[in-house]
Amino acid sequence: MSVGKNVPHDSAVTHVSGESVFIDDRPFLKNEMVCGFLGAPVAHGILKSIKIEKALGIPGILGIYTHKDLASNRWGAIVKEQPILVDSLISYEYEPVCVIAAENYKAIEKAKKLIELEIEEIEPILCIQKSIDNEDFLTAEKKIARGNLEEAFNSAPHTLEGVFENGGQEHFYLESHACAAIPLENNQIEIHSSSQHPSETQHVVAQSLGLSYHQVVCVVKRMGGGFGGKESQAAPFASLVGLCARKLKRPARMIINKDDDMKVTGKRHPFKNFWKVAFDNEGKILGYKIKLFSNGGAYTDLSESILERAMLHSDGCYYIPNVEILGRVCKTNIHSNTAFRGFGGPQGNATIESVIEEIAHFLKKDSFKIREMNIYQGDNLHTPYGQLVDHNTLPEIIEKIKVSSDYDRRRKEISEFNKASLTHIKGLAITGTKFGIAFTARFLNQANALVNMHLDGTIQVSTGATEMGQGVNTKIQQIAAGAFGIPVTQVQVMPTSTEKNHNTSPTAASSGSDLNGMATLIACNKIKQRLTSVFNTHFKGNLTPSDEIEVDSSEDLSHIAFEDSVVRDTKNGDSISLKELISIAYLNRVSMGDYAFYKTPGLGFDKAVGQGQAFNYYTNGMAVSEVLIDKFTGETKVLRSDILMDLGRSINPGIDMGQVSGAFVQGMGWVTAENLVYSDKGVLLSHSPTTYKIPSIQDTPREFNIELLENNTNDVCVHRSKAVGEPPFLLGNSVWNAIKDAIYFAKPENASKLKLPATCEEIVTLLDE
Amino acid sequence: MRDYISVFINGEPRRISGKEAFMTLSDYLRYERGLVGTKVVCSEGDCGACTVIIGNSHKLKNGDFDYVPVNSCISFMHILDGCHIITVEGLKNDEELSEVQDSMVRNHGAQCGFCTPGFVCAMNAGIESSLRDGKEMNEQKMKNSLTGNLCRCTGYKSIIEAGLDIDLKKFEPLSKKYDSKTILKTLTKDISVDAYVKTESNEVFLPTSLKSAVETLKDKDVTLVSGASDLGVLYNKRGLEPESILGLHNIKEMSEIIKSDDSVFIGARVNLHQIEEELRDEFYEFTHMIHIFASPQIKNRATLIGNVANASPIGDSIPFLMVAGASVVLIGPSGEREVEINDFYLGYKKLDMKADEFIKGIKIPLLKSGEKIKLYKTSNRKDMDISIVTFASKYIIENDKLKDISVAVGGVGPVVMRARKTEKELQGQLFDKDVFDKAAATLKSEVTPIDDVRGSANFRRILSKNLLLKFYAEEKLNISRGRN
Repeated sequence: MSVGKNVPHDSAVTHVSGESVFIDDRPFLKNEMVCGFLGAPVAHGILKSIKIEKALGIPGILGIYTHKDLASNRWGAIVKEQPILVDSLISYEYEPVCVIAAENYKAIEKAKKLIELEIEEIEPILCIQKSIDNEDFLTAEKKIARGNLEEAFNSAPHTLEGVFENGGQEHFYLESHACAAIPLENNQIEIHSSSQHPSETQHVVAQSLGLSYHQVVCVVKRMGGGFGGKESQAAPFASLVGLCARKLKRPARMIINKDDDMKVTGKRHPFKNFWKVAFDNEGKILGYKIKLFSNGGAYTDLSESILERAMLHSDGCYYIPNVEILGRVCKTNIHSNTAFRGFGGPQGNATIESVIEEIAHFLKKDSFKIREMNIYQGDNLHTPYGQLVDHNTLPEIIEKIKVSSDYDRRRKEISEFNKASLTHIKGLAITGTKFGIAFTARFLNQANALVNMHLDGTIQVSTGATEMGQGVNTKIQQIAAGAFGIPVTQVQVMPTSTEKNHNTSPTAASSGSDLNGMATLIACNKIKQRLTSVFNTHFKGNLTPSDEIEVDSSEDLSHIAFEDSVVRDTKNGDSISLKELISIAYLNRVSMGDYAFYKTPGLGFDKAVGQGQAFNYYTNGMAVSEVLIDKFTGETKVLRSDILMDLGRSINPGIDMGQVSGAFVQGMGWVTAENLVYSDKGVLLSHSPTTYKIPSIQDTPREFNIELLENNTNDVCVHRSKAVGEPPFLLGNSVWNAIKDAIYFAKPENASKLKLPATCEEIVTLLDE
Repeated sequence: MRDYISVFINGEPRRISGKEAFMTLSDYLRYERGLVGTKVVCSEGDCGACTVIIGNSHKLKNGDFDYVPVNSCISFMHILDGCHIITVEGLKNDEELSEVQDSMVRNHGAQCGFCTPGFVCAMNAGIESSLRDGKEMNEQKMKNSLTGNLCRCTGYKSIIEAGLDIDLKKFEPLSKKYDSKTILKTLTKDISVDAYVKTESNEVFLPTSLKSAVETLKDKDVTLVSGASDLGVLYNKRGLEPESILGLHNIKEMSEIIKSDDSVFIGARVNLHQIEEELRDEFYEFTHMIHIFASPQIKNRATLIGNVANASPIGDSIPFLMVAGASVVLIGPSGEREVEINDFYLGYKKLDMKADEFIKGIKIPLLKSGEKIKLYKTSNRKDMDISIVTFASKYIIENDKLKDISVAVGGVGPVVMRARKTEKELQGQLFDKDVFDKAAATLKSEVTPIDDVRGSANFRRILSKNLLLKFYAEEKLNISRGRN
C-alpha cells in the first residue's frame, strides 16, 4: 500500500537534475514573441491618453495594445470590477496600462520609456486608517456573534483593549508569474500558465478576448511556487499574452521579472484590528469584541472571503462564550491584495494570540496557563459561528508539547537569563492553529478526476489540482497506486488541463489533496469494481469462446483484493496478475477509464447571519518558540522551535513534514523581517530580495523539532488524512509572541505597542523609547 | 591577440565571441545553449537560483581547479574568461543522479523545484571544498555553504537534512569527474594572451599586463570591471551597458595578496573569499565580518577593491579600512600614488581619483601590539543583507584607559564617516560606562542619516548610539570574535 509511505515527490528527480520544465524553460517556438507590460507611474489618477506611436518605431517592437483591444476589460474572482488594462482610472502604482509584444526583451524596455501617458493625478489613499476615516470600503460590514457581550463586559473583573496591526507579505514564489499562448486553428487558443486556477484563467482569457470557453484550453504543468499568489492573479497576465498572440497570430510568452511581479501583484492583507477583552482573575476569557479592518488595496479580488476567514479564525484555538466579530475591507491605492497561505486566518489568529499575551501580562501569569485554560475542551466545543469542534485534539496537543518542548524548565531558565544578561534578552511562547478546512464559498468544494488505465497496467490521472511544489500530484499518485495495489512509478499524474477537467476550483484552501484525491479514489474504485467483476466471472469459468464477460455489480466482491500488482480472491486464493486481468477485461470490451466527481458533504455556512458549518473539519497544531534578541541591534535569533501537528493519518509523512517546516518558516518571515515599504506616494520600494528579506537558511530555528500526532479519527477526508498546506503557517506566529514576551522583560510598558512584523527597527525603537 | 572568450562548459570547450561575450552567463546558458536547468529569479545575485559552479584557471589550488559557486545572472561571459563552468546538467552521470542530487530526492529537499538546481550546485560546491580542505561537514557549515540560496517552500529543514545525509564515499568530486588537466591546458594557454572582443556596439579588452591596462585607460573612456557583482545588477535592472570595458582578471599580479612586515597589499582582482581564507591571522575581525558580508556566490566574485571603488555609504568594508588606516594604491600614466582612505572619499560616490587612473590595490597596515578592532554590521536580516549601519573601531586599552581610539560609521550619511567628535570624547578617557553613555549620545547627534527603504533616520541614530554601547558591553564582558 503506497498510501502513508514516505515516497519522494513525483518530480523530485527532474527537479534536482534541472530537467523539470517550467513555462520559460519551454523551447521557443518558431516565431514566438516575448511580451511585457507598462505599469502606471502613479498610484491614483485619471488616464487621459496613451500615445504609443514613438514606441512602435523601436526595432523589434511588434505590437502595443491597450484596453481598447480587449473585448471585455473587467475581471474579478468575486466582483468583476478590475480592469485588465487601465481604461480611465489608475488605482495603484504599476497597474498595467498596455501590453507590448516584441522580438526581444531589450526592445520592450526601450518601448516602455517612449510610451507617453497623460495623467491627472489624484491624492492616493494609502493606509487603513485613512480609508476608515473616509469610509471608503470594498465590502459591507460582516458580523459573527454569540452570547451577551454587554453583560460579559459589565460583570467581568477585568477588561483590556487595544489595537493589533499587522503588515502585508509578499508571496515570493521563486518563479514569478509566467504564461505563454499559442494561437490555434478555428479561433482556439492554448494557454500555458503558472496558475493555481486554470479554470478561472481559461474563463478570464475567453471573456477578455471575446471567445467562448470551449475555444480556450489552459494547461498548468507545474508552478515554481504559488502560496495563493497565483490563485486569482495569474488570469489577467494570461489575457495579455493571449491578446498579443491573437493580434499578431504568433505564439507568445510573458515572463514577469521579480521586480515587476512584486510591484504589480497583490500580497497578504495588512490588518488593523480593534479589540476588547473581558476576563476573570484566573485569566478565563469571558467576552471578546473585535473589529477587523483589512487593506484590500485597489480592488476586491478575494478580499471578501479573506476577511471572512480572518473573522472565522478570530477565536484562534480558544473558546469564547460571549463574542462579537465585525469586519470590513478597506479600499486603498495599492496593488489589489489577494490570497496568501492562511487566507486571513493568520491575521485573525495572531490578534487573539497577542491578546492572550496581554491578559497574561496583566495578571502576571505565564501565558501558557492562560492558553491551557481557554483552549477548546470539555463541553466548550462550539465556535462563535456555531460549528462543533469535532474530534478535538487541542488539549492533547498542548499537554504533549508542554512536555516535549520542556516548557517549564526553559521558562525558568529564561527568567534567570534575562535577569543576568547585559546584552541580550530571551523570550518564549506557545501559540496554536485550529484551521478550518473547506472553501467558505461552498460551491468551490467540488472536484473531478479522470483516470485512464492502459493495457500494460500503468495509469494516467488527470485532475483539476495544480502542482506548485506542495506534493498534491504525489499524493494523488499514491492514492491511485494504493487503489490498484501497484507501485507509484506506474502512476503518472498528468499536467492539469481544462480540456480534461472542467469547472475546477483553484488549488487553494489547503484542499487540493482532499478534493482531488477523493475524486481520484472514486474514479479508481469505479474501474476496480468492473475489474473485480471480470475477475469473478473469469474464475467462475465455464466461458465459451463466443461468451463475453458482462460487468455485474450486484454481487459483494469485497473479498477480492488488489495488492502487489496481483488481484486475489482472499477467500479461495484464486489470483491473477493485474496486467493479465486488464488484458482479459480489454478483450471482453470492459472500460478501463473513468471519471468521477466529488463534493464535500455537510457544508452550510450562512454568511448573512454568520452561523453554520463553515468547515469540513479542523487541522490543529501548536508550536513553542524561543528567541534571543540583541538589545543593541534588535537582531533576533530563533533558538528553538517545537511543533506538534495533528494531520490525521498522513498520506505522505515526508511531504507533510515539508509542508509544516515550509509553512512555519514562511510564517516566521511574515512576523519578523518581511517588511513591505512604500513611499508616501504609494510606490513599493521593497520589490526584490535585496530590499525584501524572506528567511534565509541561517534564520531557521537553531533547533527545529517537528512531530506529527497520531490521529485516526478524521473519517471525513480521503484515507483519514488532513489538509496541511496552510494550518502550520499560523504557527510561525509563536516567534512573534516570543519576541513580545522578551520585550515584556526589558521594556514592559512598550510591549503592547509591538507591531507585526517585529523587525529590528521595531524592536530597537520600542526598547529605546 | 585573441578574439574570443575562452571557457569550458560541462567539460566542453567554448569560444565565445560577438554579442555572446557581453551576455550574462545565465542568459547564455538558457537561451544560447538550451541549458534551462539554471533558473533566474531576482537577476541581482540575491537568491541563488542561478547558481552554477566555476573552476577558475586564474586561481588554482594545488594545481587543480578550486570549484566554487557563483551567481550566473550577474556574471558576464567576458569576466568568465579562463573558467570551467559546471551547470546542474553537468552533475549527473548519464542517467544516474549524483550523490548530492540523490540525497536531495531521498530527503524531500525539493518542493516546487525552482530553487533546486541552484541549491544542488551550491551544495555540491560546499561539499567539494570541504573535502578538498580536509574539513568535516557539519550543520553550520552546510548552512554557510547555502547562505546564498533562497527557498520559499521547504523552510530549509529538508535541504539541511539532505546536505548532512550525503554519503561522502559516494560523492564524486568535479575535479575527478572532469579532466582538469586537458581543460587547464587550453585555458591557461588562452588567458596568457591579450583578448579583445568587439561587436557593433560594445568592446571588451582583457590585457595580460598592467602596462597595457594603463595605456588603454589613457586614451579611452573605459569602464573597469572586476567581479561585476554590482555592474551585473545595473545591467539587469537599469539597462546599463558600458560600451567599452576593461577587465583586469588576466593580469596575474592583480589577483595577489602580498604580505610584508608592516602591511598587507590586496590586489584589485582579489575577491572576498580569498581575503576570508588568507587573512584570518592578520585581520580576524574583518574576515569574520566577511563571513556574513555576502553569500559564498558573491564572495567568489566580488572584490574588496570593488567595494572601495563603489564608494557606497554602506560599503561594508570601508569603516574597517578607515580605522585601520588603509591606503588606496592608484595607478595611472604618471605612475603609482597612494591615498589614505580617510581622504579618498570627497562626497557621495566622489573619489580622489583621476579619469586615467584606476585602483591597483589597497594596502592595510598590520595591527600593532595592543591594538584591537571591533566591527559591527547591522541589517534587517543577519546574513546576505545590505547594512543599515556599519561600525568600526580600532583602539588600545591601557591601564583601563582608552588610547588611540578611532571610530568609523557607515550608513549614516553620504559617505562612510569618521566620528571625530566621538573619538575626541573617548580619547584618553577611562574605559567606563558613563564615558561611553556620554560618547554614545554624541555619536547619535554626530551622525547625519536619512530615511530609506532599510530603515528610518531615527533608527539609524539609535543604532549608531547602540553600537558604541554594544562595543563597551562586549569589551567589558570580554566577548570577542577576534583573537587580534
